[in-house]
Amino acid sequence: MELPSLTDFFARWRAKPPVPFSVLFKKFKSILERNNAILGLIGDMGDKLGGDYIFDRQYILESCERLGDQVFKLVSDLSLLCQRKNVGLFTAFERISYQIREELAGRRVLSRTDHLLPLCDLTHDLVDEGGNKMANVGDIRNILGFTVPEGFVITAGAYFDAMERAGLRKRASEVCAKFESGDLSGLAEAAGQMQKDILAMPLPKGLAKAVKQAARRLTSEGGQLLAVRSSAWGEDGESSFAGMYESVLGVSPDQILTAYREVLASLFCEQALRYRAQRGLVLEEPAMAVGVMRMVDATVSGGLYTYVPLVEHDQPMVVSAAWGLGKPIVEGTAETDTFFIGREPPHALLSSEIGVKATRLVLGAAGGTRTEDVPATAADSPCLSGDQLTLLAKTAMSLERFFKRPLDVEWAFTPQGELVILQARPLSIKPKTCTPGLDVAEATKDVPVIISGKGVPAMGGVSSGPVHIVGEGADLSDFPYGAILVTHHSSPRFARIMPKCRGIITEMGSATGHMATIARELRVPTLVGVSDAAKILHEGQEITLDADHIVVYEGVVEALCRYELGKEDVFEESWEYRTLKRVLKHISPLTLLDPDADSFSPEKCETFHDIARYVHQRAVDKLISLSEEHQEIKESAPHKLVTKLPLGLTVIDVEGGLASGASNEIREEDVRCRPLRALLEGMNASGMWETCAVAVDMGSFMSSVTRTMTASQSHPTNLGRNLAVISEEYLNLHLRLGYHFTVVDAYLGESVNDNAVLFRFMGGVTDFTRRSRRAGLIAAILEQYDFVVKINGDMVTGRAKKHPEEAMLDKMFMLGGLIGYTRQLDARLGSDDAGRHHFEEFVQRINALRALREATT
Amino acid sequence: MTDEPNSPNGPDAQATAAEKGGPGKARTSILVLDDEAIVCKRLKPFFQKAGYEAEAYSNPAEALARVQQRRFDVVITDLKMEGLDGLAFLGKVKALYPDTDVIVITGFATLETSRESFRKGVFDFVAKPFKLAEILDVVRRVEKERGLTRE
Repeated sequence: MELPSLTDFFARWRAKPPVPFSVLFKKFKSILERNNAILGLIGDMGDKLGGDYIFDRQYILESCERLGDQVFKLVSDLSLLCQRKNVGLFTAFERISYQIREELAGRRVLSRTDHLLPLCDLTHDLVDEGGNKMANVGDIRNILGFTVPEGFVITAGAYFDAMERAGLRKRASEVCAKFESGDLSGLAEAAGQMQKDILAMPLPKGLAKAVKQAARRLTSEGGQLLAVRSSAWGEDGESSFAGMYESVLGVSPDQILTAYREVLASLFCEQALRYRAQRGLVLEEPAMAVGVMRMVDATVSGGLYTYVPLVEHDQPMVVSAAWGLGKPIVEGTAETDTFFIGREPPHALLSSEIGVKATRLVLGAAGGTRTEDVPATAADSPCLSGDQLTLLAKTAMSLERFFKRPLDVEWAFTPQGELVILQARPLSIKPKTCTPGLDVAEATKDVPVIISGKGVPAMGGVSSGPVHIVGEGADLSDFPYGAILVTHHSSPRFARIMPKCRGIITEMGSATGHMATIARELRVPTLVGVSDAAKILHEGQEITLDADHIVVYEGVVEALCRYELGKEDVFEESWEYRTLKRVLKHISPLTLLDPDADSFSPEKCETFHDIARYVHQRAVDKLISLSEEHQEIKESAPHKLVTKLPLGLTVIDVEGGLASGASNEIREEDVRCRPLRALLEGMNASGMWETCAVAVDMGSFMSSVTRTMTASQSHPTNLGRNLAVISEEYLNLHLRLGYHFTVVDAYLGESVNDNAVLFRFMGGVTDFTRRSRRAGLIAAILEQYDFVVKINGDMVTGRAKKHPEEAMLDKMFMLGGLIGYTRQLDARLGSDDAGRHHFEEFVQRINALRALREATT
Repeated sequence: MTDEPNSPNGPDAQATAAEKGGPGKARTSILVLDDEAIVCKRLKPFFQKAGYEAEAYSNPAEALARVQQRRFDVVITDLKMEGLDGLAFLGKVKALYPDTDVIVITGFATLETSRESFRKGVFDFVAKPFKLAEILDVVRRVEKERGLTRE
C-alpha cells in the first residue's frame, strides 16, 4: 500500500537545489558532532560538582569560553545549512553568554523578578534571591522537612531595585571596591554615610506596598509580631559575617519598612566593610535579602551547639534553654538550663545544670512582648523533658549532616509541643581532635575495611549508619531513618528517601546520572558502581562510608566523621563550586522540550543546552527536506523499510546506518544502526503487536495511519510517513502509530558520557482520564528502567543518559516492546487497577525477553 | 611510567623515616603548591585523611621557604603561577633534594612545557582538572618505587 503523500514527495524531489548537497551534508554532520561535543562539555562541567574532581577558577573560565565558542560555531553552522541568518538564535546566544559573563564577574543573575519569596518556595537553589541565612531556613523547611516559622523573604533583587532607584547601588559597589583593594582610609565615614542614606532612602512604591501587605497577612492582620532577619550574600555561608548584620525582633506590621531599612543599612556597617576588606571578597558585590518571619509563641526556647570541644564529655552537643521566648537567651541576659547530650544515638543526657529561671519573656495579648514571673515550681525545674531533648538532638544532627559542619541552632517549642527551628548557622568552633589531621589516619588504621577502591564517588563526604538493602522495585515507604541505602541500580526513584538516608551505595549506575545529581543536591555521600555491595554488606550492619576515599569501614568511625566536620572549608561553599553551579544554570538545564510546540523557538532558549537542542532539531528537519529535494545523492536518499511490523518506516541514512549498497527498499538485516536494531528487535521479540486485546488488522491500522496523516500533512517534518534518521550510532525516530505519536532520539557512541536516549510519547484520541492513566503507566514503566521522566499533560518524556552501551541497547529493546504494547492501550485502561495490572504485565513480559536476549547475545 | 633519571631505590626509605625522627612512623610527607587556593584547600585534607603528612601553600615564596627548611618525600606543584613559575620551583626542589619526587599539576597542559618539566626530573604530570583518585594513584606509585609503602 502506497502512502498518499509519497506522490507529493516524488514530485518535490525533482526540484534542483542551488547548493551542492554534499556541502550541506557535511555541515549537517559537523552539527551533529558539535552538538555531541557541546553536550559532552556540559556533562563534564556538571561532573565537576560531584566532589570527585579538583578543579580551579581557571577551569571554570576556560570551560565557559570553550563552550561559548562551540555554541557560537554551532549556530553559525545552522545558518550555513539553512542559508538563513538566524538572527534570533544569535541574539539568544548573546543573551545567555552575557548572563554567564555576569556570573563569572560576580554579578549574580537573579532568576526571579518577584521581590517577595514565600519560605515554602525557597531552597539553596534560590540562595541568590533569598540570601544564605534564609536559604538555610528554606532548606530546613523544604528539603529536610522540619518546622520553621511562617514567613517570606524580601529578595536581594528588591535590595538592588531599591538601591538602584535611590541612586545608591553604584556608590555601594564603589565603596566596597575601594576598601577591598586595600585602601582603608575614610572607611568609618563612608560606612556612616551609606547607612544614613539607606535609612532615609525611599522604597519603590510597589515594593513598599507588597511588603506591608505580606506582613499584615503574616501576622493575621496585625495580631502577631515579626522577626526581621538579615540574610546577606555570604552571611552564615562561605564567610560568616556572624553577628555583624542587624536582625530586628518583635516588629509590628506598621514598623516593617523601618525595620527593613535598618537591616539593609547594616550591610554597610563599619565592621562588615572591614571584614569584607580583610577577606578580599572582591569577586562579589554586596547584597542583602531580608527574612520576615512570624515570632513563635514559645513555651520554652533556646540555642543548641551540635558540637562542643569538651573532652570530659567526649565532645558532646550542648543545649541552653529557658522558659518563654528566646531573645533573652540569645542575648545572654537570662538564667538558663544547660544540658550536655551525646552526639550519637540514643543521644544520652550526659549532664545538666538547672538554673533558676525566675522570669520569662512572653508575647503580649495585644501585640508586643512582656517579661513576667515564672511560677516558683517551674523556675527551678528543668524546662525540657527527656523526650524533648532527644527530639532536639536528632533534629540537630540531621541539620548538621546536611550542612556538613557543626551548627548553632536556634529553636523553640510551641504550647502545642511542636519543635520549631528558628535558624541554623555554622559554628566557628572546630572539633579539636582533628587538628593536626594526623590523628585521623591513626584512627582509621585499625578499623576493619569492608570495601576499598571499588566504585565511583557521585557525592563526596563521610557518613555512618546501619545498612539498609533495597531490592529492585521494593517498597520505599518503610526506609528507616538514618540508614545507608545499599542497592543494585542507581535510580531517580530514590530521590524521595534521600532526605532520610545518610549515605548511598549502589552496585551499578553512573556518577553523572540523575540520582547522583539529586544526591549532590541533598549532599548525601554516594558511591556508585560498587560491584557486589549488596552481597558484601548485610542488612543492619553498622558501617562508615568515606566516599572521598572510596572506602567502607566496619562500624562507626567517630574520628573520621568528626574530621569531616572540622574541615576548614565545605567544598559546596567554595567560590569555585558556587560559581560553577551558577554558570551551569545558564548552560545545562533543557527547557525546550517539545519540538512541535510554539515555544520551540530561539526566543525561548534559556540555556546553551536549549540552543544546542534547537539547532539539532532544525538541522534534522533540514536534512529530511534536503534529502527529499536532492535526488542526485543516492546514499542519503530515503529508503523504505520492508518489515512485517506495521511501521511504514522511511529511513534516511546519514552515515553508516545501513549496509553498504542498500537499495531503495531495505530489510531489517540491512540496518547497521545499533539503537534502531535493538529497537526493532524489541518490537519483534515482544510479540506485543499481535497480542493486543483490541485486535487491529493491517488494513484498519493503515487506514488509521492514513487518517492521521491527512491531519498532519501541514507539519513540515512529518510528511505523512514515519521517519528514521540514522547513522551507525544515532537514531532519530518520529513514529506515528494509530493516534499515538512517539519520538525516539538515541545516540550510542564510543564514549559512555555521550550516550543518551530520549523517549517521548504523546496524543491519542480518548478521554482525559484514560490519557492521564496511560501517561502514568508509561512513566512508571520508564522509571522502572531508570529513565528520568517528566509528564506534561498527556505527553511523557523519558531520558536515560550515560549508561554503558549494553545497558542502553537493553533500554532500546525495552522501548521497542513498549511502543508495541502501548499502541492500543487506551481502550484497555478502563480503571486505575488496569494501569497497575498493565504495568506488572509489561514489566514481567519484557524482563523475561530481556533475560532471553542477554543469554543469547 | 616514570622518566625520573636519578632514582636510586631502597636506602631512601630509611633516610626518610630517620629524618622525620618518628620511629615506626614512616608517614610519607607531601607539599602541595598551587596559587589557586581551592586546590590547596581540597588536597591537604584529602591527603591527611589518607594518612599522609601534608602541607599546602598557595604562595610560591612561602613554599620555597618551607622546602628550604625541610625535605618532603613528594612535592606537588602547579606549573604556571603568579610570582614564581612552577618550573623554577621544581628546579630548586630537585637541586636541594634530588630524591624528592615532584608531581606537576597544571591546567595549561601543553606538550612543550610538559616535556621540559620531564627533563627536570618530574615524576609524573597530571592535567587539571583531575580526580582525587588519580593524584593519589601517582603518589602511591612514588611510594612504591621509593619503597615508602606502609605495611
